[in-house]
Amino acid sequence: MASAADVRSILSLPEPSAVAGPSQPKKQAAVSTRKPEGISRELYSLIGPSAPSLVTLSKPQLKQKPNLGGGSKVKWEYRAFKNSARQDSLELRHWVKASTPADEEYPFVKYNVSSNVFTYSQDEYTRFLEDKEWSKEETDYLFQVARDYDVRWFIVHDRYDFPGGTPRTVDDLKDRYYSVCRKLVRNRPWEGDETSKSQLILTYHFDKERELTRKKYILSLENRTPEQIAEEEALFIEVKRIEQNERRFRKERDELLRTIAGIESGLPDIVEDEGLMNLAIDTKKKKRGSMAMDIDSPSTPIVPAPTPIVKRPQTAKNAAFDAANCIIRTDPPATIPVTKAAHQPAHLRSYKLPVPKAAVAPKITAALAELGISHSRLVMPTRDNIMQLEALLEATTSLVDTKRVVDKIGYDIRILKSRLGMRESQGAEGHPDAMDVDEGEVGDDGRAQSVTSARSARNRKQVRTASKLEYRY
Amino acid sequence: MVNYGGDEVSALVVDIGSSTLRAGYAGDDTPKAVIPTSYGYHTTAVDEAMDVEGSDATQKTRPIKMYIGQNGPSLWREGMEVTNPLVDGLIQDFSAIPPLIEHALVDVMRCTPSEHPILVTEPTWNTPANRERMAEIMFEEFQVPAFYIANTGVLNAFAAGRGTAMVIDVGKNMCSVTPVVDGFVLRKGLAYSALPKLVHAHARHVLTGPPPMRGIDLLPHQLIANKMPADLNAPPRFSIREDRMAGTTESWRAWAESREVDEWIHSVAGVLEQGWNDQLAASRPPKPYEFPTGYNSYFGGERLSVGEQFFYHPQALVASNPNLPKHLPALISETLRSCDAELRQVLSSNVVVTGGGTLFTGFADRLATELTRSFPHAKIHAPGNPIERRYGGWLGGSILASLGTFHQLWISKEEWQEHGKAIVGQRCK
Repeated sequence: MASAADVRSILSLPEPSAVAGPSQPKKQAAVSTRKPEGISRELYSLIGPSAPSLVTLSKPQLKQKPNLGGGSKVKWEYRAFKNSARQDSLELRHWVKASTPADEEYPFVKYNVSSNVFTYSQDEYTRFLEDKEWSKEETDYLFQVARDYDVRWFIVHDRYDFPGGTPRTVDDLKDRYYSVCRKLVRNRPWEGDETSKSQLILTYHFDKERELTRKKYILSLENRTPEQIAEEEALFIEVKRIEQNERRFRKERDELLRTIAGIESGLPDIVEDEGLMNLAIDTKKKKRGSMAMDIDSPSTPIVPAPTPIVKRPQTAKNAAFDAANCIIRTDPPATIPVTKAAHQPAHLRSYKLPVPKAAVAPKITAALAELGISHSRLVMPTRDNIMQLEALLEATTSLVDTKRVVDKIGYDIRILKSRLGMRESQGAEGHPDAMDVDEGEVGDDGRAQSVTSARSARNRKQVRTASKLEYRY
Repeated sequence: MVNYGGDEVSALVVDIGSSTLRAGYAGDDTPKAVIPTSYGYHTTAVDEAMDVEGSDATQKTRPIKMYIGQNGPSLWREGMEVTNPLVDGLIQDFSAIPPLIEHALVDVMRCTPSEHPILVTEPTWNTPANRERMAEIMFEEFQVPAFYIANTGVLNAFAAGRGTAMVIDVGKNMCSVTPVVDGFVLRKGLAYSALPKLVHAHARHVLTGPPPMRGIDLLPHQLIANKMPADLNAPPRFSIREDRMAGTTESWRAWAESREVDEWIHSVAGVLEQGWNDQLAASRPPKPYEFPTGYNSYFGGERLSVGEQFFYHPQALVASNPNLPKHLPALISETLRSCDAELRQVLSSNVVVTGGGTLFTGFADRLATELTRSFPHAKIHAPGNPIERRYGGWLGGSILASLGTFHQLWISKEEWQEHGKAIVGQRCK
């Protein structure tokens, strides 16, 4: 569409602003003192033209305004053009910009695409395409109609009117057309490789039976009475409702079980519960994670700036105040980068009970149990108590570590000793026996390991329930 | 320019309907010239006129004088007959077509037809002979450089922005349901009937029929000298222009009276949105209307019974009249039944309502009710803009003829001279 500016330029009219009518007010004489670039209007009105500018005012580098061609005149021409998609010499006329080259191809010719429909010779027909249902004339006619209407089947079927032919359905026509195409592709010499040939055949695949069944389904779907549709919808809603009820029941039962048979009573946690809780935690985590991503990521450049303020200088006054009020400041761990996630909010100390390392936890628990100490329940988690517990755990850990090293070395010594024994007896006994002994030992050891691992697994579970208990506090 | 696919070659679009002939430039959104298709004429002698009519189209040498355009049939002239060249949406009398088109293009639009390619519309049930005749008129009489004839169903679908649609077109005389797929009409699925004529006849019966109907005198204002204000439902007090009565022809009187009926239909008649219901009809407010004679009254249930004819025919009426035109739901189901099962879903969810007849009060709502009853997913596209509704076919033609990709389809004069009439059927599929 031509805009007003285009029309003006076609008719060579001057710009409207150039010929201001008498009704338009006379423009004020331009103010002699121009506002320098790069200084805001408000500021300029405050300081006035006399104020010397200290800063070197430079024009801000902004994106250049697009040149919409409004300013300069564009010449248009009423030109005759030829459409090369036409066979005749019809010349139509349209307006074009004078700058377009005269011999340019008509831009819409490229949309003149035609579908390629197969053609076949008489010889090919007699060799491959004979069909007792279809005469050659009718097949020719079918291909002609398909070509005329670009293989739009519904229209081909609508316009299909072979004189003296039997009435055909869309599927009959499609079936014949595609079977002929398939046969032609299959029997003609093929330049490309086999896969592309089979792919091409696949594009001409048509299963009439399947198509008919599909249409039958569509019909039956369409022929439902309103009552049937209503019933179907009612059933669907009913199913949804039942499902929802069931889900609610299960949730309520789980809640109930957790309250009644909870950890308070010392009963082990319920397996389904765990699964559910894990699920809940997982989703929560995910949600929080995504939220954190959403909220934090845009503001990350801002966050690091205020963190130094957190580290307040420990002045004497502060220390005195803290001592008077029993305030103990814990330094945030230096290794963790200071982010929102690493921030430690106000918390109960019982939340921060030290937990032994997961790898050695069962052994520690076993060791403590041997001594008759329950490390998992701290009656009064004061600072001192926690420190003591921490120390205890540390000591136990080192003890356990030492024991492990001792065990390992002892084991090594035993093996070496047995090897030595074997070497000594090698002179008298045969080699295979040694193998036997070796194997037997390994087997024993493996069983022992599996036993311990089973035990440790149980222990781990206990620890977990215990730690969960702690979290409850 | 290429971005929106348009390339205007200042083509003209001519859409000939039963009530009006629309003409304008392709690329515009409304036709520049809208003239009534009915025209008045004087004959000196009937047989003489018949001889010469077809042979020469220019008005000067014709023994009969034609009165075309806004001041054509609507002005009373002594002894002027009024006729319409279209019968059931098809052009029956081609002798009147060149003067009509010439009036629209030359007298109203002030353009020279020989300089512009012309796109003409045709109804789906048009005969090949008719379209060839139209091409002949365009090339031989108007000397157009290029010509194309397009189907109104397709054009209405294009005007609604769809390639596939079920077009429900209610005109002045004909009502048609056309399935359009990928820009082609499925001819086997076409269903049409002269339903608007029945509605018109029913309305006339309601107004002029003997008691219990109103028995109203439908004299047009051209024949009334003066009138006095009359009370509600009181017999009108007016005097007839006796000087004109003698010179008034039957055909002009019939034309004028049918116009009075149409006026009444346009301003008063309606249809209930949810199907007929006596109580609901009684609860609707009656509407006042005054006829040219001065008779004025309120019309209640009877005004709503008129629109009911579009959608429902009582058993008694069907039994008494074997040639009763099919009502709209019957036409729609006939169309859908003849289409492939796969297409029904697509068509019923792309219903395009067009034609001046669909501006009938409550028509679109009632149609939606009827459609969703049998097709719950039916979706109706009915332009709210009455201009778009009335000139949908013209608008589609305007869009089509201003497309850059369309210009390869024109039948050029050269092709016409080379191939003759056969090219029309080949090109305009």
